[in-house]
Order: sequence, then C-alpha cells, then structure tokens
Amino acid sequence: MNEEQTWVSQAQQGDDEAFTRLVETYQTPVFNLCYRMLGEPELAEDAAQETFLRAYQHMHRYDEKRPFATWLLSIAAHYCIDKLRRRKFSMFSMDAEDDEGNTFELPDPDSPNPEGESIKGQTRDRVHSMLKDLDETDRAAIIMRYWYDYSEKEIADSLRLTVSAVKSRLHRARKELAGLWQEEEDDLLAEMERRHHESPAF
Amino acid sequence: MNHQPFESWLLDDKYLSATEKRELDSHLRDCRTCSALAETGLALRSAKVISPAAGFTMRFQQRLAAQKVAERRRRLWGLIVLIVSGVGLFSWFAAPFIYAFISAPIEWLTAATGYFLFMFTSLQAFSEILRVLSRMAPGFVSPYALMVMLSTFAGLGLIWVVSIWRFSHKPQGVTA
Repeated sequence: MNEEQTWVSQAQQGDDEAFTRLVETYQTPVFNLCYRMLGEPELAEDAAQETFLRAYQHMHRYDEKRPFATWLLSIAAHYCIDKLRRRKFSMFSMDAEDDEGNTFELPDPDSPNPEGESIKGQTRDRVHSMLKDLDETDRAAIIMRYWYDYSEKEIADSLRLTVSAVKSRLHRARKELAGLWQEEEDDLLAEMERRHHESPAF
Repeated sequence: MNHQPFESWLLDDKYLSATEKRELDSHLRDCRTCSALAETGLALRSAKVISPAAGFTMRFQQRLAAQKVAERRRRLWGLIVLIVSGVGLFSWFAAPFIYAFISAPIEWLTAATGYFLFMFTSLQAFSEILRVLSRMAPGFVSPYALMVMLSTFAGLGLIWVVSIWRFSHKPQGVTA
C-alpha cells in the first residue's frame, strides 16, 4: 500500500489529518480543472473547495480500485458542469471581473521574464478564452485530455460517457476550437491590414 | 493525398513516422483547417497548470469546520423540531383522555385495573397452554421434526439480527 492509499484509507475511517494531506496533494489539479472549466479564479477556488468538501462527505463511496485522482477530478468536473448549466442563461463573462466590475490578473509564479513569456501567454489566453465557447461536457473532456493526459477510457469513466461518445466529443471540440482559432487569425489579419491602410505613411 | 487522413491524424493525436510528418508538414502549408487544428493542438498541449492561491488547505479546513458546525446545528434543530412536534402530537391525541381522567379518576382507575387484571390472567392462561403443549408435544411430534422446527426458529432469529445490524451499520443508497 503506497502513501496515498494509506491516506485514503485513513480518511475513509474519519481521519481529518489524512484527508488534509490529500487536499494538499490534489489542490492544484482540482483547482486547475475548475479554473479551466469556469474561467475565473474566484469561481475556481469556490468550486475546488466544494469538490473537496463533497469528496470528504462521500469518502465512503470511493471505490479503491479506481485512482483517487480520477474520482476527485470526476467530482470537480461534474460540479463545474452543473454550475455552468445553471448559469447558462445568465450573463457569463470570462473577462475575470469582480462584482464591482474591476478586472484582476492571475499571478504567474513560474514566469521569471514576463515580456519573454508574453507570446506564449497570449496563446494560452486564447485557448483559455476559447474554451468558454465549448459545450460544458466537451470542455471537461478537452481539459482532461490535454491537461491531465487522460485516455479516452478514463475520460469516459469520469464523465459517465461511452468511449465512442468521448471520442466524438473530443473531435467535435477540437474542430470547434480550430474554427474559432481560424476566425481570430482572420480578424487579426484584417485588423492589421486596416491599420496598415490607415497609417499616415501609407 | 486528400485532406481527411491528415485531419484524423491531428484529431487522434496520432504518433507519426518521419515520412508521415513530412507529408503532414507539406499539407499544413496548403490547408488552413488542418493548420488551425495543429496550432490549437500545440496550444492545448503547452497550456499551463494553474495553482490556487497560497493557503488553500487552510481555507479548506476553515470551510470544513464551518460546515461541521452548520451540520451539528441543523441536526440539533431537527431533533428539537422532532421532539416538540412529537410531544405536541401526543398531547393532541392524549388531551381528551387526560381531560376525562382528571374529571372522573375513579372510572379510569377501575377500567385500568380491570385491563391489567385481564392481561395478567391472559398471560397466565397462555403460559399454562404452552406448558401443557410442551408436555404433550413429544408424544405427537418426532424429536427430528422438533429439532428442525427449533433450527428454523433459530435461523430466522439470526437473519433478523443480521438484518438489523446491516441496516444500522451500512450506509444506504450508496454506490461505489
């Protein structure tokens, strides 16, 4: 039995300290999934906390044959999907604004040279903002596939879908993202052309 | 080669041989759809994992503690409501009897004594019947049949005890 299995087993017997160790271990993957799903750090924090609370309350349901991370991410994904569905008809902005309309930026602790990272950052932001246009379940499938390297079978188990459904959802989502990417490139080119024509030197 | 296999390679994240890579590169120069697919694939693969702000575990512990307090409070209120409603319901049903008892206690005491006497004599008669039957039974019932009957009763008792234990120890409505 490895360390994680010991913690899980102790947590199932009501050991809060063991569960805290699990929270420490999995806080980043769970938070990242929630952030990619919901788009805003505050919502992601709340969803990640709620995920761990649900996991704590339902530890007795956890099947030890399944990897703990998969079970945890499955709870997080379902929570985020439900949250997004409930908010579907209300206004939803990925521009990271708080209640007073102030914008905030996510700190990037691993970035020693912000200027050098800007192009990479822009690409990442593009992907992040494009994710919001995907269907909730497709989004969860894409996140699990590309951020967590989950196989189609693992995604199917986590999202309670068939493997073929996961495959078709991944294809559809990838095509949709590519379409959006292409549209943005076209807009960017058009904008550059317009500026070029409007410049005094022209 | 037409567009379809390249699109499938990109969508399936297929591992490509050197020749296939060259063919794909050449196709990407002409096909904007596949080019966008390849670029989004790269962007997705290079996307970073975002960590929560420092102190996540501490915030979780605070939230868990608050949740436990709320849960305890909810249970306490539930118990209070249950007790109060139980007492209220009992009072509502018992009020006419209590009122009648208070207004005519002798009648009630006589009736109650009669009832207890009836119960006592019935139990006595029942135990007498059982004693007679136990004396007569060996004459009618074979020891083998008696043993089967006793075993059946013991088995049923055991099933009952195990069922009670399972219902009280295993959470219900839970799937793995």
